[in-house]
Amino acid sequence: MHIKVNHKTVEIFSGARVADVLRKYSTITWTQVQKGSKMVFDGHGHEVGLDGELGEGAQLYIKRVPRAEPRS
Amino acid sequence: MSRGKRLASGFILLLLSVLAGFSCASLPPAPADARVVIFHFNDVHGKIDNFAKVAAIVERERQGGGDVYLFCAGDNFTGNPVIDQYQPPGEPMLELLNRLAVDLLAPGNHEFDFGMENLRNFAARARFPLVAANIEAPAGALPQLQPSIVLQTKSGLRIAVFGLIQVEAQNGLPSTHPDRVKGLRFSEPLARARAMKGLRRDGHVFLALTHLGYEDDLRLAKQMPELDVIIGGHSHTRVDPAETVNGVLVAQAGSDNRFLGRIELRLRNGRLVEKKGGLIELKGPLAENAEVKDMIARFNQNPAFARVIVEAPFAIEGRDALGSLMTDAMRAAHGLDIAFQNEGGIRLPRLPEKITLKDVYTLDPFGNQVVEIVMNAEEIRSLISDSFRRGDNIDLQVSGMAYTVRTDSERRIREIVLRGADGTPLPEDRTYRVGVSSYVASSYKFSHRDPGRALGATSADALIRFLENRPDFSIYRGVQRAFQDPPAQGRRY
Repeated sequence: MHIKVNHKTVEIFSGARVADVLRKYSTITWTQVQKGSKMVFDGHGHEVGLDGELGEGAQLYIKRVPRAEPRS
Repeated sequence: MSRGKRLASGFILLLLSVLAGFSCASLPPAPADARVVIFHFNDVHGKIDNFAKVAAIVERERQGGGDVYLFCAGDNFTGNPVIDQYQPPGEPMLELLNRLAVDLLAPGNHEFDFGMENLRNFAARARFPLVAANIEAPAGALPQLQPSIVLQTKSGLRIAVFGLIQVEAQNGLPSTHPDRVKGLRFSEPLARARAMKGLRRDGHVFLALTHLGYEDDLRLAKQMPELDVIIGGHSHTRVDPAETVNGVLVAQAGSDNRFLGRIELRLRNGRLVEKKGGLIELKGPLAENAEVKDMIARFNQNPAFARVIVEAPFAIEGRDALGSLMTDAMRAAHGLDIAFQNEGGIRLPRLPEKITLKDVYTLDPFGNQVVEIVMNAEEIRSLISDSFRRGDNIDLQVSGMAYTVRTDSERRIREIVLRGADGTPLPEDRTYRVGVSSYVASSYKFSHRDPGRALGATSADALIRFLENRPDFSIYRGVQRAFQDPPAQGRRY
């Protein structure tokens, strides 16, 4: 099946989950998501879990997690 | 829009309003003012720890005496071996859902993961019905499953609900192993939903409880404005607040019991006047129900984890032996020609003679699915080549064949020789059903025309089944199927 990650099409096995798609998309991005510095959203801006199941044509967006403001 | 079209649209809207009026007329009189709260969760996948908080939240609302419901949008099983390996499998989920007094469940694809017999027992002992309009079961196979239900609230309202489960476009089945849904018939969910429109007449509130994924929930909302609310699951989407699409409130509560969804509906004279939804984050210090907390603690001490699956005549040691065992299991479980296991995924140096469930999950802890890819010999070489280059060493253990990576003095690959299980050259003029873990399928860079398909089971599941069938362990003494020529220093090749 075909999943778009940040507008780039990733071809992957059917039944793949979000984590599988991210690993195929980019090792660096996958590491950042695992460490929590980036998060995964769907095409509507909702956060999706890494075990989320995907269908043909799904869209994912990887975004940096905003850093918490330091306390003064 | 032209004046004519506007007039036509106006007429259609007027007609629909009149029809809606007739519909409501067939319903019993509703209270002047009513409020309905529906809590919902989905895709818990065996993560039970926050259910004590869920129980406290829901019970507090129920104690208020209003119309309060708790719906589950599927996928309670698979994802936590401690729970999944209970005997019978998934028992803790059933006991917890009953204790939480869940009102309705739409089965997800993973409700089938332990097979039909298990689901039949689950449904028979559940104190709540299951709804799925696009599952057709033979008479008596799953009597608790119904396409829809009309709930009568304490205040006299009626809530009409139908369920839907996702099906794969390729095979028309939910995402689980096909053997587990034998005898059931599934229809395309959105087409089936259209046939449920008449249910609108039976409820002051009309709701779909789905396990389709957020994208399909949005499609459903667009094609079916008759619905008031869609509560969904499957895509693990955190929808907060719930979205209104085409007038339909669409909700989903993430996954893994991290959130509890809460929908509030307000009705006046039986007509919905306000609807909103959001998520309650379950992380952090929230009140917990003590009884449910005790149940969770008991389930987490799963005695089955210490169960000896099989007693082998000797400890199975080393990556060759363990990798051969794991790949033989993968191949046997799914009828594959060849299977590969990356060495990084072998997390124990040795399996003891008495092999327990805990040993299997320590050996293979990642929950990786088995993926089938149809490959020819050149594509298999491409996979082996990428695996070798990752560490200039043998990385893939194998079943159904053997191979040798021939390198030069700089450890560059000169040739990869493939042999069948009998030692003769692997035929080059055919394709093979090759099994790899979802990790290898997504991380390794290799050529393959077939994108592949997940087989709805993990590699650990395969190993447990294989060990339960007491294989011939003698073949794992000194076994070697992956070779490097010349041998690498420090390795037994």
